[in-house]
Amino acid sequence: MATVTNWIDHLNKPAEEVAGAIYPGAGSSETLLVILGIVIWLGWHVLTARNESEELSRLARKRHGANDHKSNITDW
Amino acid sequence: MTDQLGALTTIFTEFYYWITVVLMFLIHVGFCMYEVGASRYKHHQHTLMKNTMLIPLVTVTWFFFGWWIYWAFPTGPGLAPSIMNESAALITDESTFSAKWYMPNTEYMAVNLGDHISGVFWAAFLLFSWTAASIVSGAIIERITTFAFGILAIAIGSVFWTIDAAWGWHFDGWMLKLLGYHDAYASGVIHAIAGGFALGVLVVLGPRIGKFSSSGEPRNIGPRNPWLVTVGLFLIYTGFWGFYAACNIPIFDLGPEYGMEGISYWTATNIYVTPTTLSGITFNFLMSLSGGLLAGYWIAKGDPFWTYSSGLAGVICASAGNDLYHPIQAMIIGMIGVVIAYKLHYWVERKFKIDDAVGAVAVHGYAGFVGLVICGFVLNGYPSSGYSVGAMWDGSTYASINPLGQFIGAIIMFGVLGMLPGYILAKILNGMGKLRIPREVEIAGLDYEMMESAKEDEKAVSSATR
Repeated sequence: MATVTNWIDHLNKPAEEVAGAIYPGAGSSETLLVILGIVIWLGWHVLTARNESEELSRLARKRHGANDHKSNITDW
Repeated sequence: MTDQLGALTTIFTEFYYWITVVLMFLIHVGFCMYEVGASRYKHHQHTLMKNTMLIPLVTVTWFFFGWWIYWAFPTGPGLAPSIMNESAALITDESTFSAKWYMPNTEYMAVNLGDHISGVFWAAFLLFSWTAASIVSGAIIERITTFAFGILAIAIGSVFWTIDAAWGWHFDGWMLKLLGYHDAYASGVIHAIAGGFALGVLVVLGPRIGKFSSSGEPRNIGPRNPWLVTVGLFLIYTGFWGFYAACNIPIFDLGPEYGMEGISYWTATNIYVTPTTLSGITFNFLMSLSGGLLAGYWIAKGDPFWTYSSGLAGVICASAGNDLYHPIQAMIIGMIGVVIAYKLHYWVERKFKIDDAVGAVAVHGYAGFVGLVICGFVLNGYPSSGYSVGAMWDGSTYASINPLGQFIGAIIMFGVLGMLPGYILAKILNGMGKLRIPREVEIAGLDYEMMESAKEDEKAVSSATR
């Protein structure tokens, strides 16, 4: 995966080769990383939307009053 | 980089934008504090988390497609040919500034020894994206789902504002060429569009329970903690300095860029590659801030919430032309913007029953719109772009700044790319039953379960003996 294994050797290359990407997997892994990133992003929406729906439904069923929260104010 | 002067110029530019990004982070800190201060106790934590989570959501989507849109869409597409390739299609060819280089899987979107600028420039624009989304966030507190806000934040932060930036900020943007659009520090490109988007969402979302009496009279809700609002707005002012600097190019040789043979002229420029100075925009930032504060204190009769917001509205109103205004012009324009925004806020609230919890539509949307229109009159005749110096594809040059172009530009920013998409997306989310939290939750408070759990913890700890 290492794109550079020796900095002296790297900097001694022709200028157009020195000026380039230096992250692991440069030139071979980018598209795969983007697909992985998009899956994580969309998956996050699905998971958190489900959690939020459950939380809101549970709380709505309890039908608390507008001032009920005041009995839950902590004074640690 | 093998010559020292070239390296210094490049690394100075890299460092300059990096500093602006750090400063602009304070805008988001300010918005978070402001929203917590404006919301009621039982909604605090969800309000904070809603605004916080737009950071990662807009960031990753800005990486995936937002930045690409900016470089691809200057031509419309289909509205005016590019000066780079004379095509009106999306700019995805081999041109130097093509969107092709900003796909998320290119080697320039990462650590690259041949490119010191892309990352910091990407980040500076990203912080503008957060701001656009955060402006919307404040208006809709205490009744929107976090899911819906996330979708709306991505829409305004990574899609619609970046289209407007491609049209009205990019050196190849069709609005510069055809309308003479000029908006140096984003009266419209950020503020009018975000205010318009918020208004579109608010029309569908509706007011908070209790905001209007049965006869339709508006009631004042909060702010619960005016001091947190105060500190938040001071931080937004501070971050706005960074925003101004980020809208400039810090050092540029205009001689060769303008095709002037043998002439070298190094200067800071605005985003349109026309000369300005950090010194000049500092005059104008402070004078428009002062104009806004003076007008806000007067019209709101010393109300701190509106006075602070008016300082911001003053800067926003003068921003379109703050690269060229005289400081007293900037001050007066800031004052005019505040008076109009304040009056419009209450008129719209009463007339249409719009509950804008923090005045975001007024401060950003109306003040931004007015600022664009005023700019068209005060800067009438100035070149809209540094590229006005040469002929375009048809032999004409970029249009100069003019009142009609600025007015049409303001409508595009506020209405076409702001309010309309906000309304349509909110309608879709509402149709899915995902826009608004249940009525019972709004009454009980979004944080009810967290607070209840914390109280139980407190009781358990206080009764513990070991």
